[in-house]
Amino acid sequence: MNHAWVRQLAGLAVFLAVWEGAARHGMLNPLYIPAPLAIASALLTLFAEGTIWPHLEATFAAALGGLAAGLVVGTVLGVAAALLPLVAELLEPVMVLLNAVPRVVLAPLFVIWLGIGLASKVALAFILVAVVIFFTVFTGIRQVDRRLVERITTLGGGRLALLREVYLPSVTAWILGNLKVAVGFAFTGAVVGEFVAATRGLGYLLSFAQSTFNAALMLAIVTVIMVVVLLIFALAGWLEHRLLRWRG
Amino acid sequence: MLRVDELTLAYGVVPVLERASLSVDTAQFVSLVGPSGSGKSTLLRAVMGLQAASGGRIECSYAPGEIGILFQDDALLPWRRAEENVALGLRLKGVARREAEAVARSWLDRLGLNGLGRRYPRELSGGQRKRVALAQVLARAPQLLLMDEPFAALDAIVRARVSQDLVRLVEAQGISVLLVTHDLEEALALSDSVYLLSQGPRARITAHYPVPLPRPRDVMQARTHPGFAPLLERLWNDLSREVGEIAA
Repeated sequence: MNHAWVRQLAGLAVFLAVWEGAARHGMLNPLYIPAPLAIASALLTLFAEGTIWPHLEATFAAALGGLAAGLVVGTVLGVAAALLPLVAELLEPVMVLLNAVPRVVLAPLFVIWLGIGLASKVALAFILVAVVIFFTVFTGIRQVDRRLVERITTLGGGRLALLREVYLPSVTAWILGNLKVAVGFAFTGAVVGEFVAATRGLGYLLSFAQSTFNAALMLAIVTVIMVVVLLIFALAGWLEHRLLRWRG
Repeated sequence: MLRVDELTLAYGVVPVLERASLSVDTAQFVSLVGPSGSGKSTLLRAVMGLQAASGGRIECSYAPGEIGILFQDDALLPWRRAEENVALGLRLKGVARREAEAVARSWLDRLGLNGLGRRYPRELSGGQRKRVALAQVLARAPQLLLMDEPFAALDAIVRARVSQDLVRLVEAQGISVLLVTHDLEEALALSDSVYLLSQGPRARITAHYPVPLPRPRDVMQARTHPGFAPLLERLWNDLSREVGEIAA
């Protein structure tokens, strides 16, 4: 039986204990590296006073909105570019360009265009996700197993049958395989967008903690973000396992 | 009836195959053998309509829906269960879902796959997958079966069993078959007639051997028939001469 998770948990506990011990013996400056219990206390306060909820709600709305829009638009554009050479000719250079630059640099531009509300965060999450999904679908369709295409063709299937039986299942598999990456990008977009300019959200809270030099609050928020993303990763993993059962 | 007349096939300027002629009559099992690179598979792909001819004619009295094709790779859709793969062949022919599923199950039973219909291709052995592919083709009640080294990836025992299944069904249903193989023994044991291709490029059909073995045929017993060994020797010598002449 594999007890790796027990060892990992024990390792984490030892690390936290050493960290706490070092902090209590004055070996760490709490201004820069607060003790784990101080971070836990900041975390508890956030939840006990309920201040975290509107921020969590804002970040979730931006990340999930951007993720959904990015998945849909990225898939549609990827399929169109793979099947229509003219669309590929026009779209591929733009996507390559967008992929070449760190897309978070667009955050200030989105604030100017869309304001400091939810829309600019959704837009940043969207652009991060859409480019990744576009390339996943575009290259995936172009590399689809030719034997399966020939099989459907020789069984008398036309374009619709090819789309339904070969391309759509292949695209679903590629997207689900990249869902965790997309989720990571969506939250990056939402948090960075909030960090640049916002009145709510985990990114805004991080920015606030930074401006007040509150390292304990900052690490508490980082912990919240990590836990949230890990939970969504687990959900994405479950979905992948369930929908791609044929892959084993 | 299938008639290939003076067929020339090329991938570039130099023809792979030149002026090849052969015929497959109703309920006749014909094999095409030859060295690697002689254009065996190319000829079959041309008959399947997957390769354009640069000269000659292909006359086929069967409608596209009456032709079954079996490749070396089983090319089953990995996201469809075994019975769904078989039913798909029927559904693409216009058969209603329920009827297609019932026919698919009965064909899987006939080919010894009882109880395995709900499995995905990855959960089946190579021999079982090949049987599913065979069921997919035979369920469509083809009048002409085109096969490109369908058993090449199977081990000897499984190969003999699947071949026997095929021969039994082909004999019972009066299906015409054109088989491409590099295995001379297999060609003689299964066929009524064997064509030999010379070494490519510019390969030609250099000989035609009627196989005087009785039907119904047991593919293992056929090898012990008095007419088998002399014919195999003749075929072997002719093929060796073809390859030897090129090497010399």
